[in-house]
Amino acid sequence: MKISREDVAYIAKLAKLRFSDEELDRLTREFETILTHFHSIDRMDLENVDLDKVPVDQQSVVRSDEKTVFEDKKKLFNNAKSMRETYIQVPKIIE
Amino acid sequence: MQSDYMSAWDISKGIAEKKFSAVEIVESHIKRIKERDGEIGAFLTLCEDEALAQAREVDEKISGGRPVGRLAGVPAAIKDNMCTDGIRTTCASKMLEDFIPPYNATVVERLLDEDAVIIGKTNMDEFAMGSSTENSAFRITKNPRDITRVPGGSSGGSAAAVAADMVPVTLGSDTGGSIRQPAAFCGVVGLKPTYGLVSRYGLIAFGSSLDQIGPFSKTVLDSALMLEAIQGKDERDSTSYRGEYQKSYTDSLGKDIKGMRIAVPKEFFMDGLDDEIAASVQESIKCFEGLGAKVDEISLPAAGDGLSAYYIISSAEASSNLARYDGIRYGYRAKDYTNIDELMEMSRSEAFGTEVKRRIMLGTYALSSGYYDEYYNRAQKFRKVLKGQFEDVFRSYDLILGPTSPVLPFKIGERNSDPLQMYLADVYTIIVNLVGVPAISIPCGRSTEGLPVGLQLIGPHYGELRILQAAHAFEQEIKLEL
Amino acid sequence: MNFETVIGLEIHAELYTKSKIFCGCSTKFASKPNENTCPVCIGLPGTLPVLNEEVVRLAVKAGTALNCRINNVNKLDRKNYFYPDLPKAYQISQYDLPMCSGGHVEFECEERHVRVRINRIHIEEDAGKLIHLEEEPFSLIDYNRTGIPLIEIVSEPDIRSPLEAVTYLRILKSILEYGEISDCRMEQGSLRCDANISVRPVGQKEYGTKVELKNINSFRELQKALEKEEKRQIELYRFGEGHKIVQETRRWDSGKGRTVPMRSKGEAHDYRYFPEPDLMPVIIKESTVDEIRGSLPEMPYEKAARFVEEYRLGEGEAEILVGDKKLSEFFESTIREGASPKAAANWVLGELLRIMNEADLSSADITMKPAYLHRLISLVESGTISNTAAKEVFKEMFESGGTPEDIVEKKGLSQISSKKDLEILVKKVLEDNPKSVEDYRNGKTQAAGYLVGQVMKASQGKANPQMVRDLLMREL
Ligand SMILES: [Zn+2]
Repeated sequence: MKISREDVAYIAKLAKLRFSDEELDRLTREFETILTHFHSIDRMDLENVDLDKVPVDQQSVVRSDEKTVFEDKKKLFNNAKSMRETYIQVPKIIE
Repeated sequence: MQSDYMSAWDISKGIAEKKFSAVEIVESHIKRIKERDGEIGAFLTLCEDEALAQAREVDEKISGGRPVGRLAGVPAAIKDNMCTDGIRTTCASKMLEDFIPPYNATVVERLLDEDAVIIGKTNMDEFAMGSSTENSAFRITKNPRDITRVPGGSSGGSAAAVAADMVPVTLGSDTGGSIRQPAAFCGVVGLKPTYGLVSRYGLIAFGSSLDQIGPFSKTVLDSALMLEAIQGKDERDSTSYRGEYQKSYTDSLGKDIKGMRIAVPKEFFMDGLDDEIAASVQESIKCFEGLGAKVDEISLPAAGDGLSAYYIISSAEASSNLARYDGIRYGYRAKDYTNIDELMEMSRSEAFGTEVKRRIMLGTYALSSGYYDEYYNRAQKFRKVLKGQFEDVFRSYDLILGPTSPVLPFKIGERNSDPLQMYLADVYTIIVNLVGVPAISIPCGRSTEGLPVGLQLIGPHYGELRILQAAHAFEQEIKLEL
Repeated sequence: MNFETVIGLEIHAELYTKSKIFCGCSTKFASKPNENTCPVCIGLPGTLPVLNEEVVRLAVKAGTALNCRINNVNKLDRKNYFYPDLPKAYQISQYDLPMCSGGHVEFECEERHVRVRINRIHIEEDAGKLIHLEEEPFSLIDYNRTGIPLIEIVSEPDIRSPLEAVTYLRILKSILEYGEISDCRMEQGSLRCDANISVRPVGQKEYGTKVELKNINSFRELQKALEKEEKRQIELYRFGEGHKIVQETRRWDSGKGRTVPMRSKGEAHDYRYFPEPDLMPVIIKESTVDEIRGSLPEMPYEKAARFVEEYRLGEGEAEILVGDKKLSEFFESTIREGASPKAAANWVLGELLRIMNEADLSSADITMKPAYLHRLISLVESGTISNTAAKEVFKEMFESGGTPEDIVEKKGLSQISSKKDLEILVKKVLEDNPKSVEDYRNGKTQAAGYLVGQVMKASQGKANPQMVRDLLMREL
């Protein structure tokens, strides 16, 4: 199982994480070990396993279309760093 | 340490019979925590004022002759990944250091409905990722049986709090063994119920298809009592069990287990298993036979291969579940950034610990295009095959028995350099989460150094009663003094 | 070389539910910022989604109305990407097992019979809204829209011109309105459209490089945006610069009237779809599908056929009316009040549409009562007011919602139709204009017109012109 550092750097970008070069190297090595270990299941025949098959008696889990209100909005947005009136205010987002 | 211990069962009975008040109980437990937790480090937050206020309410109910719940006045502590309204809930992460949920997790509501007293929030591995509680951003928790060793993880704080008699019962969460493994390490009882039996609403997600909340206690009876309180259908959790629930577990303990059929997979005894643990488990098998159970060695061929499938699935789900921590709405925000993308990236990079980042990376990789089929999809297929093998076993057997952990509690700092070595400590527990069945860890012996050994009993879906009956019979038989 | 345009549309419609897709928050538009939020839809740690059953019903309804196959087992997936308007950093959507597959819509457009195949309809949650402050280094976030249920209707690339695209969108909109699936207010964003467009030389089998256009908020903009992009692509091919057409997303800038590339930030795009572990598969019984299909209200094409048959309208007239559900309902109510279909159609297709277009209003803004229009028509038919006066009354009715009688009274618009009153006027005019009477009697028939005019003038325009003419003739 060969993984390149570039692969890992690309994944870091997707995951919105930043790493030093040493960290990237270490992660690359760890990925190789873990994913090589994963290939131990290669000897199992998994081709014919159908994941989308649903047991016959299964039913949808749904709620009825009813309105509920979370009253305490102040508490709800208590953890926001800053608010302007009832908006969450964040540093400028450039589209 | 045993002298001042009282079980949840005895506390609630005593309070109901007015032998002592809830305030007295809560005060004495807070005092104990203050005396002992400096050394152990099980708690992240102590809610002294709230707990005393709750205790007073319970006392008022009793003096007013009003009915009280089955956990009346019982001090309980909760792993810090379950939301408590108005009480800091951190997941032991710098990311949520100041996070105060505006709502209670369903399990918290249920405990309060039963008049339990929430006394504090316990330490854990950051976002429940780890097997030693060393990944907490805030403190190291020590194993009360030997303070140079880890308490296990990720619910190490909850296990240690019970082991040190700071509270009779706690809640933990178990994604790959995070209740059972610390229970084994600390020499207490830890139960992971069937996936769906206990609502996950308000449990801060790690691996959504694997996470399950369960109790820690010193006795099987207390775990049964806790399960009765926290289980049940929840409209807010779509994965909550829709069928009939066992109304009482405590009523049916004490029944003998003659004729119970127990399977012991030979795969559980292959290389990597500590000799002393193997010996202790063999002793336990003899004990079960003595109680009239029929024990057979069987084969569970996929059992040995579950580890990496587990890490792929749990990390993939975690990578998505932990994406919401971006510094925008709540949680840690980096100080230096030039634009919003950098704000998100720096906040995440600065606030997540090494293990959390490692799992997010692994999970992102497993889901990324070109690798999805090779990893995530194959891991799910493996999971389905594994489920089939378990179902086959449960067609002929009532329970599966084996060690909880292949290793004894290790020294603090001993294993945290090699992630794969750390992951291997979960080899017997993760398969249970992949299949979704219930399992318990109960103390079954001691090593020559006096370290606790845990025995795992696994049941079929919704087979909690069977597990608790067997564990209770075993507990009464061996009468282990730790 | 001649070019052929190939277009496919992706249409997002907000579903007509009381509560959001995964929580109980209201879906009401224009509430105070963050008023319709709760721990679930702002993605607080520990919260879980529970699917609104009405969302399933409405999506199945859309599927049956658009001739789709309903997938009896389908599932929800997570689409992962970071953006501040997406609280969980993933959108719950459907990836490889959507609610509905393989439908179609058929219509005629510029002599061509168009059959647009529908690839799929899936359900998903909407994201929040960002407001960028011009003068300050901040943006503001409103999560009211987060979790509003949407269906996405994805067509195959079967559309061949901007006009066909607009016609397809109009038909789809009216079907969604008729089915009470979505209120389709484009101006409020409850119906949104992205378009994929490419061009290729006529006869070429392979598609050209496609460009995705976003941010289109009206039929007019859709047509303009497609025409602009079509022209841009054809010109690039004509001048041998076809390679400059790259697969990209371009934003329609309605102010500047052109499409501009969206900043891609050199960012990796990989949505890492995987099945949503917090939700169970959606299971739809065949009996439920049948029940929903059976309860589908009259669709626009059915209504158009009925209008032609029942009210003897022209096909064109019927199509305009049914193309706007509220308008067609207004029309039918007027008839039900007692108006003749012909007169009702004249008023609705004439004055009403004209006033709406002038004021840029939609049929949802009509406050006038159909009964009043019927009464206005009666006033004209009985000769109480003139046609010209009726138009004035109509405009006032539309604006104020008042009754026609009150307006006629207030403005003094009723005609003098009393024979006695008119005879007095006629006699006076004949006496005052002996010269014209003389001329008429000598065979100058145009003099009659002059005399009618004089009577009208004397009545300040309120005399019934037909009666005046009849009376004059008799007197002469
Ligand atoms: Zn909500």
